[in-house]
Amino acid sequence: MEAGEIASEHIEPGVAVITFSGEHDLNTAPDLRHKLAAEIDDGFAIVVDLSGAAFIDSSILGAMLDARRRALDAGIGFEVTLNDGAQPVKRVLDVTGLRSGLPVHSTRAAAVEAARSGKAGQ
Amino acid sequence: MSAQGLNLTVAAKPENLAVIRQALAGYADAMGFDTNAIADLKTVVTEACMNVVVHAYPDDAVGPLEISAEPDEDGLEISVRDRGSGFRPRPADVQDSGLRLGLPLIATLSDEFEVRGGDRGTEVRVKLRFSRNGDEQQSDDESGPETAEGTVMSITAGAFVRPVLARVISALAARADFSVDRLSDTILIGDAVSAHDPSDFREGTVGIELSDGAGWLGVRIGPLVEGGGERIVEGLELPGGTSLGKLASDVSIKREESGSGDLAEYVVVRIDR
Repeated sequence: MEAGEIASEHIEPGVAVITFSGEHDLNTAPDLRHKLAAEIDDGFAIVVDLSGAAFIDSSILGAMLDARRRALDAGIGFEVTLNDGAQPVKRVLDVTGLRSGLPVHSTRAAAVEAARSGKAGQ
Repeated sequence: MSAQGLNLTVAAKPENLAVIRQALAGYADAMGFDTNAIADLKTVVTEACMNVVVHAYPDDAVGPLEISAEPDEDGLEISVRDRGSGFRPRPADVQDSGLRLGLPLIATLSDEFEVRGGDRGTEVRVKLRFSRNGDEQQSDDESGPETAEGTVMSITAGAFVRPVLARVISALAARADFSVDRLSDTILIGDAVSAHDPSDFREGTVGIELSDGAGWLGVRIGPLVEGGGERIVEGLELPGGTSLGKLASDVSIKREESGSGDLAEYVVVRIDR
């Protein structure tokens, strides 16, 4: 089993892209919360790229929702991207109704563009 | 504890969620669950176990988290149980959006869902089918060990042992930061145990207790019948002349008290990174 890892990359000016590999649950949720909070505090727009995640649970969704609220309060863009490969993740987003509740894009480029323009919440 | 199916007892800690998830996924995979059903099972089991980790015990205590999976004709009935004294909401929970999503996820993704509470703990029972059809449920209710030490697993000897053991060992070895080669060695030991003659295990149930720390993994195999320990160690002579003694840092056969109170043989193995 691949150990779950979360990375934060600054590949676009002013935008932090949070990427996942492996499975993520309550054990890695504190790391995600910490990374998201640090980037928002530093003023970076956020793109959460779930495409590499093999599994996420509600603690990961909770970390994303809470960070998004903070980003919105700070006037910072917060977007999510998920490609066609991450079916288990897509199902969790569907069942919880968060695919419509969160701004989920099918490509990272679209998510980065939306985050840069600060359209969080659309 | 039932002699059928899979039984797991772990400490109610976040780092054990992946171990539980992999064990149940391996079992369901061996039963023939389809990919989507396995994905749903992983979510349901993780959410139910997370409730125990977060709510069952006081902040400064770690109690047991007990999981059992009973196969039936159309799927698995899974029980997740704690030994706490009821639901313990925490002040931080009010602000945690994720914790409000867990129970709806369980209810939506399982075919049947029931919560039983009492002074001696809370039990979540769910039924999941091979795919997404059908509607039967069966019941079983017995206590398991009340230990919070390591990962205690018992599984009926047969075809399900190998996939479950391989996934659990992989999860623990990844957590202990084993290299890929060392992980392969460790899985070889699991494979050899899986292939061993079931008659050396008491009541035909393969009992495994796994423990881990920084850079090491411990495996305790038993309870075994008289002489079973020696035969297990002999059986762990691997192809190419590699023996268990070369793969493991320490191998011993011990006579210890079993869950039923009498003495039984156990093989105890320690593998270092």
